[in-house]
Amino acid sequence: MIIRTQEPAVSIPQKINIQPTRQLSTKSGIPVYIIEAGTQDVVKIELVFAAGNIAADMPLLALATNDLLDEGTKQHDSAALAEALDFFGAYLQTENGPDWSSVSLFSLNKFSNQTLPYLFELITSPLFPEKEIATYRQQGKQHLAVNLNKVDFIARRNFFNTLFGANHPYGKLTDEQHYDQINSGILLNYHQEKYLNGLKAIFISGRPGTETINSIVTAIDESGFKSASLPEVNIHLPAPEKKFIEKKDAMQSAIRIGRRLFTRSHPDYFTFSVMSTILGGYFGSRLMTNIREDKGYTYGIGAGIVSHAQNGYFYISTEVGAEVREDAVKEIYKEIDLLIHEEVSKEELHLVKNYLTGAFQRSIDGAFQLADRHKMVLLNNLNSNYLNEYLEKLNAISPVDIKICAEKYLQTADLSEIIVGQ
Amino acid sequence: MIPFEKFKLDNGLTVIVHDDYTTPLVAMNILYKVGARDEQPDKTGFAHLFEHLMFGGSVNIEDFDEPLQKAGGENNAFTNNDITNYYLTIPAQNLETGFWLESDRMLSLAFTEKSLEVQRSVVVEEFKQRYLNQPYGDVWLQLRPLAYKVHPYQWATIGKEISHIEEATLEDVKSFFKKWYAPNNAILSIAGNCDLNRAKALCEKWFAPIPAQQIPERKLAVEPEQQEKRILELKREVPNSRIYMAWHCCSRYDKEFYATDLLSDILSRGKSSRLYQQLVKQNNYFTDINAFMTGELDNSLLVIEGKLVNSTDMDQAEKVILEVVESVKQGIEDRELQKVQHKAEATIEFSEMGIENKALNLAYYELLGDAQECNRQAERYNAVTAQDIIDIANKILTQNNCSILRYQSSN
Repeated sequence: MIIRTQEPAVSIPQKINIQPTRQLSTKSGIPVYIIEAGTQDVVKIELVFAAGNIAADMPLLALATNDLLDEGTKQHDSAALAEALDFFGAYLQTENGPDWSSVSLFSLNKFSNQTLPYLFELITSPLFPEKEIATYRQQGKQHLAVNLNKVDFIARRNFFNTLFGANHPYGKLTDEQHYDQINSGILLNYHQEKYLNGLKAIFISGRPGTETINSIVTAIDESGFKSASLPEVNIHLPAPEKKFIEKKDAMQSAIRIGRRLFTRSHPDYFTFSVMSTILGGYFGSRLMTNIREDKGYTYGIGAGIVSHAQNGYFYISTEVGAEVREDAVKEIYKEIDLLIHEEVSKEELHLVKNYLTGAFQRSIDGAFQLADRHKMVLLNNLNSNYLNEYLEKLNAISPVDIKICAEKYLQTADLSEIIVGQ
Repeated sequence: MIPFEKFKLDNGLTVIVHDDYTTPLVAMNILYKVGARDEQPDKTGFAHLFEHLMFGGSVNIEDFDEPLQKAGGENNAFTNNDITNYYLTIPAQNLETGFWLESDRMLSLAFTEKSLEVQRSVVVEEFKQRYLNQPYGDVWLQLRPLAYKVHPYQWATIGKEISHIEEATLEDVKSFFKKWYAPNNAILSIAGNCDLNRAKALCEKWFAPIPAQQIPERKLAVEPEQQEKRILELKREVPNSRIYMAWHCCSRYDKEFYATDLLSDILSRGKSSRLYQQLVKQNNYFTDINAFMTGELDNSLLVIEGKLVNSTDMDQAEKVILEVVESVKQGIEDRELQKVQHKAEATIEFSEMGIENKALNLAYYELLGDAQECNRQAERYNAVTAQDIIDIANKILTQNNCSILRYQSSN
């Protein structure tokens, strides 16, 4: 007879050994990292450039350059490039972030000899034709116009703007006019400066064959890439602010509360991230339990911590029924106050540590995921043992640590607040 | 390729096990054969509301999420018109916690007024967030009843209207559970660091004692063949106009599925596809255009969705889309066919990257008739000929089979 009211015993690993990367170097000294894992016969090749928003002096420049890399080269026009990659079932993924820009090729192994040359071609000799820019401009403006009707989008952009200021690359907003300011010349120039002279690292993950790896190294050697670091930005950062942006007839109001914060290498980073998990980082978090599961005010609410190369931020984010907005905001501050004034129970902290241990295991499961974690460590210049020490550091955090952290960082006067809606 | 073993418990629960020792985790997927198509027309949105209640505590366990999180696990669920699917991943050594939790909520729920009241509000907020408070959010609420006049696919999973959710009672909820949630109406798949013997022992312990139930025979109205072109014009305060054209096509079970799916790929898969190249790149009628199959279990739809540039009017939009559609009927090059077949193969490979996807794929193909089919998909796509696709295009892409939603910007 089984006893269904009795929960099975569980055990949580205290230490996990992480598969390390294999590193090769190129003539230029730009490192190639290899993560061989997984069961599928596929490969992902990601090139990371010091070409994100922080490197650009105008909003949209970094993103547009990244987005338009595959819109034509000296050898192939946009349609021919698209056809070639589609034909082999491969696809490109371009990502532009606050600091880094990257280009990834996903390919079946059996076609990687055919697909790789296109990747290097579009990274080394893009043309950014005016005709393709015109299409992009129209797409971008339409997309922006749609987004500007969404309370969540408006809240997010104003949040960044409030936290970092209108002149900081992390806080500058892209407007319609910026689409009119980009042209072939400035994109070519940005590509020359930040891509050809800004290749930071290459990550190869999946089940790449030796031949594939060798041809990547050769291609890097032959193309004359140079490495670069991210620029330092020294701009005065603004004080916290509370803003209400009215959007008539919005059925829900978007709420963003948070603050500017440190980078990943800061000594308080770890404790803060556990604290923000307790507050809003998982389904059973305090905010979810209170605002969704007890009151039914929202479909979802979350809190998190994001770090960039230079500082980062902490956010709480939700969309709630317009009629309950005031009460929802009140409850959010109540939960913050509770963290400041009362120690988290041992049981709750234990649960969160177990949850985070499982989440950590999921985050390194599979070749592409594992490569992403290694990339995070390498790009942030963290200690090479960072991943191996993760669980040890997690388990050392105590209820007092959390309370001290909350007192230090979550005082209402230090928080910014953006509300969009009614 | 996903190798697996399959067995059935005496109570009718089908179990599929795929072991993969490259991961320290296990994914557990339970698919219940019930979706929005099984709802009554005056009580829509119910299968999805019910999915929310499955997290509100079961007969012997007060809270679903807390013990799972304590075991390092994470879970979620989704509902569509055909199925309700629950999945979790958990460190292998704690897999029994997953069995304990999932089997208890298959046995029975706690059914409290408080849980129902809260989840009604949560789902109403979800309705607003995803369908009403978003530009173009109501497209599917409008397109479905235009294309389906009889079949329950005429309503979206979220429901026809908010009032149906607000009016759900505890009695409704209980009878829905009794009707559909039983071992013989579910498929359990396990993928990851777990061998067959362990999976069998855990199934015997936790799921075998749950009694089978009589599952009602599904008698859904058959959508009659559409006899004339349907047009619905809407005016909304959105930045730009969009057009949606939907044609009835075969069900997911049909052998024509593969040719139909490749037809939609030729039209719009990737930047090199016909619609994108001809109507976005070479000519400037749309800023973006997509075609896809809904892939539902009864008859499904092939949909083309175009975002108009301001200088394109609706008549022109429809005309130029139809020109591209007609061009497919005129012929498909070998290389173009090969391209979409390679794309299909790559999609399958990449979709099997994680244990969660593998578990879902196995359960879904078992639902379609045989889990082994998930290892024959590339073969099925490769067997399609250009003529098969042309035949399908001639058969379904006709005027009388088309429903058009003209989503006009009033700005």
